[in-house]
Amino acid sequence: MRPVLAIARKELESYFTTPIAWVMLTVVAFFAALFFNGSLDAYRFVTLRAFQFQDPSLLERLNLTDMVVSRLLSTMAIFVVIVAPVLSGRLLAEEKRSRTFELLMTSPLRPVQIVLGKYLAALGVMAAAVAIVAAFPLVLTVASRGAGGGAGVEWQTVGTGLLGLFLFGAAAMSVGLLFSALTESVIVASLTSFIVLFTLWIATIFTVGVEGPVKDLVTALSASEHLNAFLAGRIELRDLVYYLSLTALGLYLAERTVEGHRWA
Amino acid sequence: MIEVSRLTKRYRDLVAVDDLSFTVGKGEVVGFLGPNGAGKSTTMRILTGFLPATSGTARVAGFDVFEEPLEVKRRVGYLPEQPPVYDALTPRSYLRFCASLKGLPRQRVKDEIDRVAERTGVTAVMNRVIGNLSKGYRQRVGLAQALLGDPEVLVLDEPTVGLDPLQIREVRELVKSLAGRHTVILSTHILPEAAMTCQKVLVIHQGRLVDFDTVEGLIARHLPGRRVTLDDIAFLEEIYGKLVTAPPAVAEAAQGAA
Repeated sequence: MRPVLAIARKELESYFTTPIAWVMLTVVAFFAALFFNGSLDAYRFVTLRAFQFQDPSLLERLNLTDMVVSRLLSTMAIFVVIVAPVLSGRLLAEEKRSRTFELLMTSPLRPVQIVLGKYLAALGVMAAAVAIVAAFPLVLTVASRGAGGGAGVEWQTVGTGLLGLFLFGAAAMSVGLLFSALTESVIVASLTSFIVLFTLWIATIFTVGVEGPVKDLVTALSASEHLNAFLAGRIELRDLVYYLSLTALGLYLAERTVEGHRWA
Repeated sequence: MIEVSRLTKRYRDLVAVDDLSFTVGKGEVVGFLGPNGAGKSTTMRILTGFLPATSGTARVAGFDVFEEPLEVKRRVGYLPEQPPVYDALTPRSYLRFCASLKGLPRQRVKDEIDRVAERTGVTAVMNRVIGNLSKGYRQRVGLAQALLGDPEVLVLDEPTVGLDPLQIREVRELVKSLAGRHTVILSTHILPEAAMTCQKVLVIHQGRLVDFDTVEGLIARHLPGRRVTLDDIAFLEEIYGKLVTAPPAVAEAAQGAA
């Protein structure tokens, strides 16, 4: 366990001593702020209209959590697709390029310890990104009041949404780690994992005009479909299984790839 | 301590190491000599478990490097051709990182880092960022890493590359002081270095072993009748020239005759 933590610590150190983590977290913060403001404005507009027309059914459906927070979270998931490849691409590819991979591979370590150490650090940065996103509903809680006088934000729904976002981020990082293990080039690793994650994210596009088992299969593989229940405040087993098994698959294949270096 | 038997490494069509066999006893310091691309680094990478051999076996401290890599890696300190240092870290945090990888007992880490820094002469730069250090310092930080934990076996791939003459002398003294308690394999292009620091010299040419003997043995065989002292270092150049310019077949015959 100690080498795992040592690798994770060193990796976190180099994340934050180089600009990469700062730049990516700034991207997340900037766009989260942008979309937060946008959906808040839209919410205010719709609310004003609903009051103008005194439409009770519309007023009943107005919900700060769904209209602002869930929307923000689903938009930020797209940024996971962009940020995770950039953050994870360097994890192993950089070691190979700078020849420090030789140090790791000739130290008394198992490949699984190298992979887990790297992954732990990546998970830490992803947690920081999700924490930044979580700051926005927090601000909203402080500044808003619900119809009953309580908080205007339903934290159960926000909580499951954030959990979904983090699980998707965790899976994205493990996919990135796998591609980082496969190449010496950081750019190639980042690009290939971006293509894979992007394809998984927009998979439902391919189901247009398709019916039957093919459609079911593609929908089941879609990373965005599995986020919907989380954003609506539900934790469903199939979604948990999807993200966790994607994470496990990425880590397992990355471990096999590192072990494979000893064989060829 | 190190037993290499019929070791062969092929990269597609290229044969990097060809049927190499030799043994190194405990406490011996052995120098690998050979032109660039002779297979020195490849052999060292196989011995440290970084690369697998195509065929043949290598045992270090009684453990097969492929079957029991962790046991071997625990006992070997390795300085690769390019020092495996992280530019963003300071030597102190780098060595602390390496100590954790090697699983050194926590309470010993600080003293151990101070010890290897002292021995390799990097104490003065311990808190500077490695990326800003000169080549010689980077090389010595890499060497310090290999010495961490006082491993039984040291594999040093060109340890004096990038050092100035005074530093070369320091590293040479360091390697000499390791003899006896440690088994050392080092590769070098600098022939006097091999003569001065190593008890035995192993000459590789085109992946094959062309000669392996003590310095005295090499002199007796290749320069019969010549009286040389260690101050007179040109002799090794002469022997080396004979061994690596001759076609392998001739060299083999010479070896066979010996």
